[in-house]
Amino acid sequence: EGVIYFKEKPSKSNQNNAKCQLQIRLARVCSSTVRETGQDVRVGNVTAALAVANIVKTSLGPVGLDKMLVDDIGDVLITNDGATILKSLEVEHPAARVLVDLAKLQDQEVGDGTTSVVIIASELLRRGNDLVKNGIHPTTIISGYRMALKAAVSYIKKEMVVNVSELGDDHLINAAKTSMSSKIIGKETDFFSRLAVDAVKSVKMNATAADVAGYDAMGSGGGGGAERLAESASATAAGGTTAGGTKQRYKYPLSAIHILKAHGKSSMESNLIDGGFAINAMRAAQGMPTFVEMSMDGTPVKIAMLDMNLQRHRMGMGVQVIVKDPAEIENIKRREMDITKERIRKIIDAGARVVLTTKGVDDLCMKYFVEAGIICARRCNREDLKRLAKATGGRVVTTMADMEGNETFDAECLGGCDSVREVRIGDGEMLYVYGCRGHGASTIVLRGANEYMLDEMDRALHDSLCVVKRMLESNTLVPGGGAAEAALSVYLDDYATTIETREQMVIQEYADALLVIPKTLAVNAAKDASELVARLRSVHAKGQHSEDMVDYGFKFMGLDLIEGTIRDNLAAGVVEPAISKIKSLRFATEVPTMRR
Amino acid sequence: MASAGPSPGMGPIMVLNSKTQRTHGRQAQIGNIAAARAVADIIRSTLGPRSMLKMLLDPMGGIVITNDGNCILREVDVSHPTAKSMIELSRAQDEEVGDGTTSVIILAGEMLINAEPFVRANVHPTVIVRGYNYALQEALSICEKLALTVDVHDADRMKALVQSCIGTKFSSRWNDIMIDMALKAVLTVARETPTISSTHGGVSDVYSQKMEVDIKRYAKVEKIPGGEIADCAVLSGVMFNKDVTHSKMRRRIENPRILLLDSPLEYKKGESQTNVEITDEEDWNTLLKMEEEYVENMCMEIIAFKPDIVITEKGVSDLAQHYFAKANITAFRRLRKTDNNRVARATGATIVSRTDEIRESDIGTGCGLFEMRKIGEEYFAFFEQCKDPKACTIILRGGSKDVLNEIERNLTDAMLVVRNVVFDPRLLPGGGATEMAVSVGLRKAGLKLEGVQQGPFLAVGEAMEVIPRTLAQNCGVSVIRTVTQLRAKHAAAYEEAEKENGGGVFPKCNWGLDGTTGKLVDMEEFGIWEPFSVKIQTIKTAVESACMILRIDDIVFGSKKKGH
Repeated sequence: EGVIYFKEKPSKSNQNNAKCQLQIRLARVCSSTVRETGQDVRVGNVTAALAVANIVKTSLGPVGLDKMLVDDIGDVLITNDGATILKSLEVEHPAARVLVDLAKLQDQEVGDGTTSVVIIASELLRRGNDLVKNGIHPTTIISGYRMALKAAVSYIKKEMVVNVSELGDDHLINAAKTSMSSKIIGKETDFFSRLAVDAVKSVKMNATAADVAGYDAMGSGGGGGAERLAESASATAAGGTTAGGTKQRYKYPLSAIHILKAHGKSSMESNLIDGGFAINAMRAAQGMPTFVEMSMDGTPVKIAMLDMNLQRHRMGMGVQVIVKDPAEIENIKRREMDITKERIRKIIDAGARVVLTTKGVDDLCMKYFVEAGIICARRCNREDLKRLAKATGGRVVTTMADMEGNETFDAECLGGCDSVREVRIGDGEMLYVYGCRGHGASTIVLRGANEYMLDEMDRALHDSLCVVKRMLESNTLVPGGGAAEAALSVYLDDYATTIETREQMVIQEYADALLVIPKTLAVNAAKDASELVARLRSVHAKGQHSEDMVDYGFKFMGLDLIEGTIRDNLAAGVVEPAISKIKSLRFATEVPTMRR
Repeated sequence: MASAGPSPGMGPIMVLNSKTQRTHGRQAQIGNIAAARAVADIIRSTLGPRSMLKMLLDPMGGIVITNDGNCILREVDVSHPTAKSMIELSRAQDEEVGDGTTSVIILAGEMLINAEPFVRANVHPTVIVRGYNYALQEALSICEKLALTVDVHDADRMKALVQSCIGTKFSSRWNDIMIDMALKAVLTVARETPTISSTHGGVSDVYSQKMEVDIKRYAKVEKIPGGEIADCAVLSGVMFNKDVTHSKMRRRIENPRILLLDSPLEYKKGESQTNVEITDEEDWNTLLKMEEEYVENMCMEIIAFKPDIVITEKGVSDLAQHYFAKANITAFRRLRKTDNNRVARATGATIVSRTDEIRESDIGTGCGLFEMRKIGEEYFAFFEQCKDPKACTIILRGGSKDVLNEIERNLTDAMLVVRNVVFDPRLLPGGGATEMAVSVGLRKAGLKLEGVQQGPFLAVGEAMEVIPRTLAQNCGVSVIRTVTQLRAKHAAAYEEAEKENGGGVFPKCNWGLDGTTGKLVDMEEFGIWEPFSVKIQTIKTAVESACMILRIDDIVFGSKKKGH
């Protein structure tokens, strides 16, 4: 019965396990259900998985290439990111969709390594299938894979991980470089890796319990922060570092990094506004100043962030005012204007020099701002304002009503910054806020030849930001360029021989499957894959079996894809965060164990 | 259709949606290059002074006659994704610097064409991209060395500069007028902006600019069909197409006091919904009277400031017109917001939104002469002889609407060129001289380069020659002879400099091609210069986009829509 269950193919594109099981039970009763069983299903699944892996295979590694995706209406997407490629394809086969979801998961959890996780998973599936053909029961394969994974993870933690107590900038930059080397910005890694590291560092925050509580109090915006913290804490635990509870920890909320895209200029002219924030909005009236800055004594420029309408006040639906004297109508009209005027007056009196609102501002009111020399921008993006509020230490104000039923504007809600100016970029204008006084915030302004390029730069940079964040949070790294995979493969081969059960074969297959990463890297670089991988393995075997301390460094040997040789990738600066490697192995192993 | 694998008894396994089409590997790369070449070929003939116009028909039957690269490509409906990406380049170039839209496409196309032999020879695209990128950095540094700083207020130099820009355009017959107009318009709207003080020295900001030149908002082009092109002019003030509201109002005022409003001068109901139930006849009268009083009040408030001209963005009721006419005030109604802004900047007035808040400082007194003029069948209001106007109107006259549209595009290009120079007063020699210098420089530098990227590096140098080559082609001289001669000239200058200084200094060789006659000339004497920022942007965009397209090895049609 178990065999039938595992071989069952869901009739439609459902991935819901419960539903799947239900169908199986139904299938026993009702013969009309279409069922495919046995070897056919497994071959089908594996073929589909391999097809998906083949799509993304050529984009792996520093010499991987990009895909151009054209949708039904002719919109173009150029990308190198595995998750993005798979997300945009209409993958129909259920087994293949699992891989697509896997890439998505990796993207959410780690942010990088989406391509490699798909490649490893499909390789594991293929090898699993071969084992079944050789008469090994799927349950054995599953348990074998699990054992291999466990051994692999503990090996990474014990041997491969380089613990860096205080991460120097070089390590961070190297990790960022490794992540972006395969991307469109790969040719300018020096520039962009520095950009990514600076950006992540600029949003450093103390992660204390009090901080978390403080965030919760701040309401909606704080939720994300708390989650992120929890996530980072668990990530560190998984990473195996022994961070004591008392040790001061930091967090790096990537949401505080704002990426703005503006076409024109060249990618090298992208820049980071450290401690700054840019909003894609322009002054509401031309009479307003283009620039305000703090006064000489250092009082910051106050920014009011509103989520309310500054248009002429309109009575709520169904509100009725009955007047006896016709002259009163005039008063109602006048009052309508005055309400808004008073509101603006209060905001100005509170000291605001920049007013940003998500809603409209009446033309009638512009004059007050113009006269007071205030920059006012309307129809700003609400998310942007929330982030700006965090960055400047202010609050987004949704109403001015206070507990007494009057209207007041609390000066506490104002954010502070050093200066604000309107900047012309390309054909449009943007408001730049410099020197935010609140929590860290930074903006990266990307420039590039056209929109497609900018989108891809954004994705690439996001991956690198994730990597840098992971590195900073876990303080551990592993060598990249196939070094970890080769080491694991050699280690697992040895480990397999210590197992006396049927799982031995499976673990050996697992060891071989991991080699798909260095192999693919070499193939993409048009190098002799078999020879390179063989050399890599022999070096690692030597390192692991030798007692000599001189050979100790061999375990960091990885591929040099430009020269087509092997080298110490730790020294060469090809590194990845350990947590990313471990997670991708975990995710990749889940798939075959689920499908069998 | 990524389907594969023998699967007994099952038929092929469909992994992707069956509508999906894929092109990959060599085929995709060659296809991309072919598409880029096709786009470049469309507009190749519109480069240089001997360029030809294109006539484009849109689906609605309208026509566009132009030789502006961006304008042509915008109208062309292409289906190949790479071609679309190329067209985007032109748009980005147009928005960033406003000129060089044709060159960027031709250059990017050539970069890709020159990469084709490498792709065919199995050079890995990332190697090509790396070579291209080295070459880009090298080319930029060559340009830096060639650049010449110009004084923005040196009228002759600026004229020569604009000349070289719009010399290629349709309006070249009236060059002098066009150049003067562009210069005057830009220098009028140029305004110093406050710079970030040194306290924020830590803020690295490449966008901080000392000058603000907002051509889009403050230099308005008004096209009036009829008359001659020689009648075109830049006003030292503004003009708009509106007549006075009341025929009795004054039509010529010297040194007028101008009041600008953006509120209506008629009775307006409140925002809140009001229902009036009247039981008394008296009340009805009061109501009507109130409306009248309201308008009267507003008018009196305005009249108290003794303006000569009142302009509002909204309506003016008959009653208000009556009061104004009586007070000898000229009134205009329903002016566009943008026009009102321009009037405000030209005359120094502030736009007022409530009549009870008018202050003396809101009145604009900068205008020297207001006059209504009739051109053709229409009346136009002129505000001229403004003191230090920071906004202006450019009047274009000409035979037909199509001609005017093309002149407007030319003028916009010219103004943008001036603007770029105001921002960055560095120039590079035109007429293919810069490109040839870069090409020769790259060849010299490339030979010293080791590794596989040498080939692509040299290819960039060769691709740069496409500009002088196309110029020669378009004016009909022997392409090979001219380009070889030019190359020899630059190479000789290089040798000489190497002999003299031991190779340390980059030679300034400004020899280029006279696009009209096809002769070689020294740009220093001939006076064809182009803004540094435009040239640099062209090269950067061309190389970067070429790199992006080269990196593609797989094209999938029929992917999901975005946002799914």
